[in-house]
Amino acid sequence: MNKNKAKGAIRPKQAREGFFGKFGYFWARALTNFKQNLFVSMVTVATITLALLLTSLFLLVYVNLQGMAEGWSEKVQITAYFDKEPTPLAAAALRTRVEAIPGTKKVRYVSQEEAVQRFRKRLKGQESLLEGITADVLPSSFEITLDRDHRDGAELDRYVKALKKVAGIGEVQYGEEWVKRFNTFMNFVRIVGAVLGTFLALAVLFIVSNTIKLTVYARKEELEVLGLVGATRFFMKAPFLIEGVLQGALGAVLSLALLTGCYYLFLNNAGNFLSVNPAAYGILFLPPAYLAAIFGGGVFLGFFGSLASLRRFITI
Amino acid sequence: MIQLHHVHLSYPGESTALSDVSLRISKGDFVFLTGPSGAGKSTLLKLLYADLKPTRGQVLIDGQNLAMLSKSQIPYLRRSIGVVFQDYKLLPTRTVLENVAITLEVLGWGKREIGQKVYQVLKRMGIADKVNAYPPRLSGGEQQRVALARALVNDPKILIADEPTGNLDDANKEEILSIFKEANVRGTTVVVATHDRRVIENSHRRVIRLEKGHVVEVVDEQK
Repeated sequence: MNKNKAKGAIRPKQAREGFFGKFGYFWARALTNFKQNLFVSMVTVATITLALLLTSLFLLVYVNLQGMAEGWSEKVQITAYFDKEPTPLAAAALRTRVEAIPGTKKVRYVSQEEAVQRFRKRLKGQESLLEGITADVLPSSFEITLDRDHRDGAELDRYVKALKKVAGIGEVQYGEEWVKRFNTFMNFVRIVGAVLGTFLALAVLFIVSNTIKLTVYARKEELEVLGLVGATRFFMKAPFLIEGVLQGALGAVLSLALLTGCYYLFLNNAGNFLSVNPAAYGILFLPPAYLAAIFGGGVFLGFFGSLASLRRFITI
Repeated sequence: MIQLHHVHLSYPGESTALSDVSLRISKGDFVFLTGPSGAGKSTLLKLLYADLKPTRGQVLIDGQNLAMLSKSQIPYLRRSIGVVFQDYKLLPTRTVLENVAITLEVLGWGKREIGQKVYQVLKRMGIADKVNAYPPRLSGGEQQRVALARALVNDPKILIADEPTGNLDDANKEEILSIFKEANVRGTTVVVATHDRRVIENSHRRVIRLEKGHVVEVVDEQK
């Protein structure tokens, strides 16, 4: 017996069946269900709100650590001394060759005079030590800043090797030890971030999905009755899914509102207080892409949490 | 209308619930299914609205073999069958109107038509004044009438009731039974599972007696 005949033999399909015909009904049903089960709905929204707030606070910390790292890595600077003092023309030619090395961001020429001035500044109060020292004692140099991608590990080593090959460049200094320690620290931060982030994501998924499961469980009678009066699987699921999406979206909006509140009340100026960020722009707020992702995460949790829970209770 | 051919059903890990049950219920019949607890009455009813599938044998409703139905076709079968339970299965957070309306909403009826039809059927049941009440505030008899209204509002071909009078006093039993009879007069085939002897004796209808999953006796009181 084919499918159409089977359906037709029992009862014809109604004109308003199908997604668009019933969308208005599903939407209204979802809103009514939300109101009729207000307490349970609010518990779900609150759970999603807290879960996403935790996640966004975590992201806020992570984003700021990355910003801080970015700021610190700006300090990775290479000082290249010349074999012998170059003429201005030779220095210009050398600069062009150094700039041609991939990864070079900025090359700054530090003349002998400037070097001595810096040295004096550093020894302020003990000028007597510098008596009789002229500019010739200190060599002139290039201070080179690198692109973001060339600031760590192997890339930096490769750059330094390439630099040393340039004829006219003698000694090259770049705080090797500092870079190594910094990279180790950043790797540690990344690993800890990934581990904590994974645990957090799992905890959020577990808590939210179980809360939604409980809310669906609380209404299993409704699903049972709908099944008995001949509702299709789609008809049963649609209002629950819309409700899930609404709860997820509401939870996300609330969590972002709370996050914004926390940020402006407590965190905005904390950077200055802590003075950990070398760029001194205080603690950054999450970029728009992250905010959109958190909102999307809320909707995702609501929708798939409901979908997964419904599977358990809809048997047809 | 309803045919069972050598139906066997056993729940996994348990003893047999139905064994070699064959029966035929014609269109417009009013049949009582009786027997002690555990005789298989509820199981047999569940087979009729495809809540269970037989382990062996065949169940035919209106000429359609239920074994051939896919899961997605079951809702369309159920739209022609009204089901009533002893515990009513009403939704406590929805009004009487909303509880009864579910049946028509599933069919895609408009709000206005639903309102009219639900009011008509509640009037027939004698509870039109309770249209906006919530089930927990109603008496047992009233709740059973709401459940009946939900089952009958779309004029189903078959009405199935599992112990519908179990929780009711005698006056309410009578009234509920008269609603069954009225539905039957309108052309609905009625199958009622009950172990209430008085209900059966006063009705003078066909009685199918089950014991330990077997049909042991069929009494046709009308003849």
